Amino acid sequence: MFEFISPLFVSLVLGGTLVGIIFGAIPGMTATMAVAVCLPLTYSLGLENGLALLLGLYVGGISGGLVPAILLGIPGTPSSITTTFDGYPMAQRGEGEKALRIGIVASLVGGLISLLVLDLFAPTLADFAIKFSYVEKFLIILFALTVMAALSSDMLLGIFSGVLGIFISLIGTYDISDGGNGELRLVPPGTEYWLESGFSLLPVLIGLFGLAAILEQAEIGVPRGHSASEVKVGKHSRFSFGVFRGQGVNLVRSSLIGTFIGILPGVGGSAASIISYTNAKTFSKTPERFGKGEPGGIIASESGNNGLTGGALVPLLSLGIPGDSTTALLIGAFTLQGVQVGPLFIGNNPGTWDAMIFAMLIANIAMFAMMYFAIRYFAMVVTIPKHILFPVILMMCVIGAYTINYGIMFDVWTLLIFGVLGWLFTKLRLEVAPFIIGFILGPSAEIYFVKSLESFGDVTIFFTKSWIAVVLWLLIVGSVAGAVLMSKKKQRIAEEPV
Amino acid sequence: MGDMTRVTIDFDTSHLIFPTLIAIILGLLGLAIVLRDHARLAEAGVHWHRTWQHMDKPRFLGVLGLTLLYFTMMVPVGEIWPNTGMGFLLCSIPYVMAAGLLFMHARAPRQVLPLLIVALVGPTFVWWLFTYPLFLTLP
Repeated sequence: MFEFISPLFVSLVLGGTLVGIIFGAIPGMTATMAVAVCLPLTYSLGLENGLALLLGLYVGGISGGLVPAILLGIPGTPSSITTTFDGYPMAQRGEGEKALRIGIVASLVGGLISLLVLDLFAPTLADFAIKFSYVEKFLIILFALTVMAALSSDMLLGIFSGVLGIFISLIGTYDISDGGNGELRLVPPGTEYWLESGFSLLPVLIGLFGLAAILEQAEIGVPRGHSASEVKVGKHSRFSFGVFRGQGVNLVRSSLIGTFIGILPGVGGSAASIISYTNAKTFSKTPERFGKGEPGGIIASESGNNGLTGGALVPLLSLGIPGDSTTALLIGAFTLQGVQVGPLFIGNNPGTWDAMIFAMLIANIAMFAMMYFAIRYFAMVVTIPKHILFPVILMMCVIGAYTINYGIMFDVWTLLIFGVLGWLFTKLRLEVAPFIIGFILGPSAEIYFVKSLESFGDVTIFFTKSWIAVVLWLLIVGSVAGAVLMSKKKQRIAEEPV
Repeated sequence: MGDMTRVTIDFDTSHLIFPTLIAIILGLLGLAIVLRDHARLAEAGVHWHRTWQHMDKPRFLGVLGLTLLYFTMMVPVGEIWPNTGMGFLLCSIPYVMAAGLLFMHARAPRQVLPLLIVALVGPTFVWWLFTYPLFLTLP
């Protein structure tokens, strides 16, 4: 059952977690970037070992963000944004180490609860999804896209970004192996040679999450690194587990909120931590203390964002739909090894499934052990100069894009195109997460849509095929209606006189 | 009603059905955005002007230019020594060095030296890793 466990497997999880923490701890670098940059290294590792590395990077990357959030008031990753609210004030009054350890323990609990949900829920959901026909599969994708767009900061721009992702994913040949007719479409004249198979997923991902992030930093002048003197861990207040007394409900609730947010496609860790934090503040007996160095705020934020890690894998492994941008990159690892994720994945690959659960477990424990006992050293990571890191990352992006399809130079240009596009997205307020999920799911959506019509010859089949289809339509309409109501409420609040 | 909802898919043109549908939806969404945000879009010129003004132009345009040059040179240089990955190695060393210098705020020898070491060791290690243990040919 545990044949995958080997010294290499464990070393890769530990190494991935360590590198992930370092990436997460450096402001401007994210868990997604860590996975994007290290993805080509999984090439020759095999699926289980490759996933061991990437899952370590994922868990470590999400957790590492708390270091600069607490010590510098700058979130290392977007998912640590609410950690700054109470962590930084604690650090300023000399309780940095205590705040860091609170965050580390909360991260561990969040990670383990979400892992439990993943282990229990994903196989059940997959068993259920096996019964889906093309119609239900298409509606699941439609539901995923509407939920993602509904939870975007701007619903209209969120939907537009998702549909744009689908559109770009359709460039190239309508593949015969997918039941298509082998004809080209959406390919500008003269580019048939390069775009015959469309844009490859991995260079697109590396461009959007690697190069674009560095271009954003270059635009603002690559801020100077922080000197060691700025990083004050503090010794005035020692950490004890007593700080968690009375925080059990907050811890479990925030972990479950994070897990649930993770299950929703395309919604990132920042939403998980913000919603967890808001709930913790709402239900607290002392909400006025939040934002001024309240440990409950750090607990909510960090258990919420680490709760995301297991949750985001649920739709990926049971439906083939990534829960967030980092799990979208994990699809790349499966693609590299020729394995398709979807409802059949867990049943057909029990060894890989066990390996993933085991890797997540080790990664969470390793993250805790490394950060809890060596937090003073990790705190120094924020001083690594970006002028050394960024060029090396750029080079790794090139390697990743080039090697992904056994050496195609067009993939390197794809990296540049989508890197610039990713930077432009931030300027145009378009959203990268819906775009990338649309890009990943677009080809499947096409197959399910066209095959449904070919099989049944009637568009009403999308509404009448089964009770599942009806439920999915209700969910789709509900998510859109909910988003419209939320947007109107936000608008009303904004228009109210102060 | 039954006839109105019935669809026959012609296999020869089946590759155009979904892209056409998506293009129409994209167009409609684009139109909705224009109608809703017309005031903001009318001020797009000001927004881009402000972006341009606040941009660190040497670093942003410099890294874009360097990256373009890096990608363009990699293949021709690699063709001088085919299938050895020399194009990658010989272009990456100056690229890492130049990008690092560009991103640097103070260029004193004490700060340049670590960058020089990374620029030499980093690409060489990656080149060795992919060429020998991983058997992947670089440009």
